[in-house]
Amino acid sequence: MTVLKSPGAVAPRGGMVRAKASRQYSSTQRAAYLFLLPWAIGFLCLSLGPILWSLYLSFTDFDLLTAPDWVGPANYVRMFTADPKFMISVRITFVYVLFSVPLKLAFALAVAMLLNRGIRGLPLYRALFYLPSLLGASVAIAVLWRQLFAGNGLVNRFLAQFGIEGPSWISNPNYSLWTLIILAVWQFGSPMIVFLAGLRQIPADVYEAARVDGAGRWRQFARITVPLLTPVIFFNAIIQTIDAFKTFTPAFIISNGSGNPVNSLLFYTLYLYQEAFGYFRMGYASALAWMLLIIIALFTAFAFLTSRYWVHYDE
Amino acid sequence: MIDLIGRRRFLEIVGLTALAANLNGAIAHAATERLRLIFWGGQARADKTGKASKLFTNQNGVTVQNEFLAWNDYWTKLATQIAGGNAPDVVQMDYRYIAEYAARNAIAPLDEFIGKELDLSGFDNDQIEGGKVSGKLYGISLGANSVATMVNTAVFDKAGIKLPVGGFTYDQLYEYADVFKQAGLPNGIRVIMDASGSEPVLENWLRQRKKALYTVDGQLAFSADDATEWFILWSKLREAGVCVTAEDNALATGPMESTMIVSGKAALQPDNSNLLVAYQSLMQDPLALAPYPLISSGASGGQYRKPSMFFSIANSSGSKSQAAEFLSFFVNDLEAAKLLGTERGIPCSEPVREALAPTLSALERAGLEYVSGLGDILGPIPPSPPTAAGEVSQSVLANISQQVAFGMEKPENAGPMLVQQATELLSRR
Repeated sequence: MTVLKSPGAVAPRGGMVRAKASRQYSSTQRAAYLFLLPWAIGFLCLSLGPILWSLYLSFTDFDLLTAPDWVGPANYVRMFTADPKFMISVRITFVYVLFSVPLKLAFALAVAMLLNRGIRGLPLYRALFYLPSLLGASVAIAVLWRQLFAGNGLVNRFLAQFGIEGPSWISNPNYSLWTLIILAVWQFGSPMIVFLAGLRQIPADVYEAARVDGAGRWRQFARITVPLLTPVIFFNAIIQTIDAFKTFTPAFIISNGSGNPVNSLLFYTLYLYQEAFGYFRMGYASALAWMLLIIIALFTAFAFLTSRYWVHYDE
Repeated sequence: MIDLIGRRRFLEIVGLTALAANLNGAIAHAATERLRLIFWGGQARADKTGKASKLFTNQNGVTVQNEFLAWNDYWTKLATQIAGGNAPDVVQMDYRYIAEYAARNAIAPLDEFIGKELDLSGFDNDQIEGGKVSGKLYGISLGANSVATMVNTAVFDKAGIKLPVGGFTYDQLYEYADVFKQAGLPNGIRVIMDASGSEPVLENWLRQRKKALYTVDGQLAFSADDATEWFILWSKLREAGVCVTAEDNALATGPMESTMIVSGKAALQPDNSNLLVAYQSLMQDPLALAPYPLISSGASGGQYRKPSMFFSIANSSGSKSQAAEFLSFFVNDLEAAKLLGTERGIPCSEPVREALAPTLSALERAGLEYVSGLGDILGPIPPSPPTAAGEVSQSVLANISQQVAFGMEKPENAGPMLVQQATELLSRR
């Protein structure tokens, strides 16, 4: 029996000579900054200016055709006092995040565990399962989703075999959001890859010892796999949550930018897009964008603050 | 002095100055020899426009650089270009937006060019009027059209119904539905799409009742009671199975492929007359045009001839007179007219129509005959709508109509809701 030991997610152990450590530290630091450079240059030269400009715009009334007009915090006040569509879009986005992220992570973990059992042709399966994630944000998939979940779509034809007459899922306001949650879950590829890497880092002898002590499969999962995987779960949860908050393409394509039926697909970013490019309220749209940043930052901060109670970095 | 700076240096300076002067000249020259044009539309429109532009280049030596986008992307791009001060010389304009762009000086008044670069001698008067904003001409109409119902004649033939020549009434839709059901038509096809959320259909219905969507100063011109009656009218049609279900109707999200008539769910589809050719290209069953439904037989004034779209000149353009020449060429040149056909609507110049008539296909001729044969149901063109009209249509009317259709709101409440939300938007800026 071999013991799998790989570095990576596990932090390097201590016990080195101080000077050596510091020299190594400064050189790794330099390397880190070097790797950051392409991003940093792009951010400083291309993104930073527009980002700050949008912060300024969020305090103005701006329609692109005439100069911005300073209105103070009026845009932010409006969101919470006079804009029912803002509340609708926040509610829809929260429901989406709340359901799609846990379901997607659970599904990704399940598939990763299946693939981790040393089956033959693993690289092929891994690639196949990853494929939907690559296609996920594409127009083609959103179009395919329409075909699947329309009144005479494949899903209903399948249900008809059992004598069930399904509604037109995608164009019914009661179900349309759920079809998009299913779409998100189906794109489990990238968290699955990360889970798979995480699972391979769990030393096999730990399971071995547990088996000897008579722990069943479920117990092994609950007491070994999950605790040792918490750093990876944490990472995946944060990335997927941020991604889910920013979801735009599927709702945009499926509703052709309208957010309909009955605003049931009016995701936050879609509403932001409508305000900006449909009705040219650039000031208000900028304020919406900054509010989204604040919401995402709050969620991430909350996750980090609670992480020390449930994320275990040590073996 | 020559000696002081040296001969060689002198020559260099002269040479450089000459070169610079030359360069300036070349740039100035290039600006007058090239026009930029931007429009919305599909590939077919782009091809036709490209050919006509090339013809203009051959005749005048001015190249025209074309750019085209889909409707939604177009307005984003144009507004961004105008904000950045680099708008194309010639821009396609819609009746919905022309007043706004004119008010913000984004497009230039064309009156000074009339009779010189811009020849409007054979142009229809109502189409010239349609391009005016507060008395000044800002857009040259590229074609007239009118609202029209696309009729799937194969379905009506199969049901054994002969549609009345002057148009059918809302009441008759119920009779057709009965015949449809008895005839056992394939896939349970309904008579008409659900048009309760369609702004032009509502406008047409209001005009037949001698009301309108908007007043001259951009306020709502109908009451909550009118709107309630409208939603009740469609609720009854929906309950009786005359129009399509809410779920089906919600599948039509914009692209023509998703409309109820193309997907075979309804036999009647209210839209615009110039789209007949485009609809037919997506369908096997032969199509025809009919007026929008009438509130009673003999009702008048619902329809109007609308400029389908305009060409305007950007205020930032440095070659306005060349641009005006291009506009004149585009609407008057007989060869160009043959290349352009009726893709943008019925040409507005009498000589052009005459030259074009023999070259038209049967479908194009049907469109031309429809628009010119509207008779009594034709009324005056309404004033150009207020800025927020697009938002009222897309985000208020469409939304409330879906709420009613899905049973989430009673039609009795929907009327006041519509008026309240629309009024709020209209006063927002």
